Amino acid sequence: MEAPLVIVWRESVEALLVIGILYAWLRRENLEHYVSRLWVGTGLGIVLAAILATLFWVAGNWVSGPSGDWFFTFMMTFAALLILQMVVWMHRNGGSLKRRIEEDAAASLTKWNGWGIAILAMIAVAREGSETVVFLSGVGAQQQGSSLSLFILGGIIGFVFALITFWLLQKFASIISWKQFFLISEFVLLLIGGGLLVTAFDKAAVQIEAYDLPNWMFDFIDTPIWDTSWLIPDQSNLTGLTGYHAQPSLLQVCILALYWIGAILLCVKGRKSLATRSCVAST
Amino acid sequence: MQILLVILMLLVPYMAHAAPLQTYEITIKDGVFDPPSLEVPANERMRINVTNAGTGPAEFENLSLRVEKVLGPSVQSFVVIHPLKPGSYHFVDEFHMDLAGFEIIAK
Repeated sequence: MEAPLVIVWRESVEALLVIGILYAWLRRENLEHYVSRLWVGTGLGIVLAAILATLFWVAGNWVSGPSGDWFFTFMMTFAALLILQMVVWMHRNGGSLKRRIEEDAAASLTKWNGWGIAILAMIAVAREGSETVVFLSGVGAQQQGSSLSLFILGGIIGFVFALITFWLLQKFASIISWKQFFLISEFVLLLIGGGLLVTAFDKAAVQIEAYDLPNWMFDFIDTPIWDTSWLIPDQSNLTGLTGYHAQPSLLQVCILALYWIGAILLCVKGRKSLATRSCVAST
Repeated sequence: MQILLVILMLLVPYMAHAAPLQTYEITIKDGVFDPPSLEVPANERMRINVTNAGTGPAEFENLSLRVEKVLGPSVQSFVVIHPLKPGSYHFVDEFHMDLAGFEIIAK
């Protein structure tokens, strides 16, 4: 019973955080229109998860082989970039989005972002969802009688835990100040985005390393440059959510650093251009 | 980041010949590994072909070594493991955490 409980809950945490933050944010900005996009994306994500899980059963060698690895690499990279774009968008328009949309200041941009929200929710759900479906259908099929009931019960409790987590997140968002929530949200989203990017490159690395490469490339891809396992050992939730590795390679460190530096630069730049624009508007 | 990916994509077709990696074969059957452990030379890159001979899915995993491979029943795939320092490295089948798992001993 614990296994399905833990897996269902754990695998849904990432999607919950992404969807929960976007939901809290859209509600706070009174952008009900976009909330529906969020649910459309969530629905599509469940469909995509089911498709991926089906593929896993009928075309397992494809999913577990190079093509599958590349597919997930691109899906996760895309999601990481979407998160980056979303955070920059939120940051640039913090607190004034509704007004700006009404002013039609960024209509085309917001239109795209509406779909960005849907796609992001979709990928967040599909990525971990497909693994959950595979686990539940595969391991569940091996259970019988009372152990099967316990297995199903575990899955249901896991799902209820996930819903409670979502609810707590919403409560939390309404208790703390908007500014704080905003800051924490951006941080958590970027953390997840960076984690996705690192995992994406990890998948790609396995495929690339099967080829004959010069040694410096192998070193770059996988020689650990430090070891912090004495402080924080590798742990599956942590690694999954943030891309943390106790013994990271130069490639992993570079990717995370680029992602965060990129995010900070884009956010700062966005604020400046917005400031200039509103100055011009007020004069 | 995108540029890097594009470069990688362009590179891949040209690296058509696989590296002469030392290759090992292991089988996972409903959480039980065969062989249960593998002795390998330290400081050498290796490739492990993993076959899932069980009736359900398996997930071959060692987080520190960045190995995470989900396999459907009767599916085969591979992982590449970077040169290891002498020592013992524990792998699990994430879908059968109650079982012993698998060990790589680098000497």
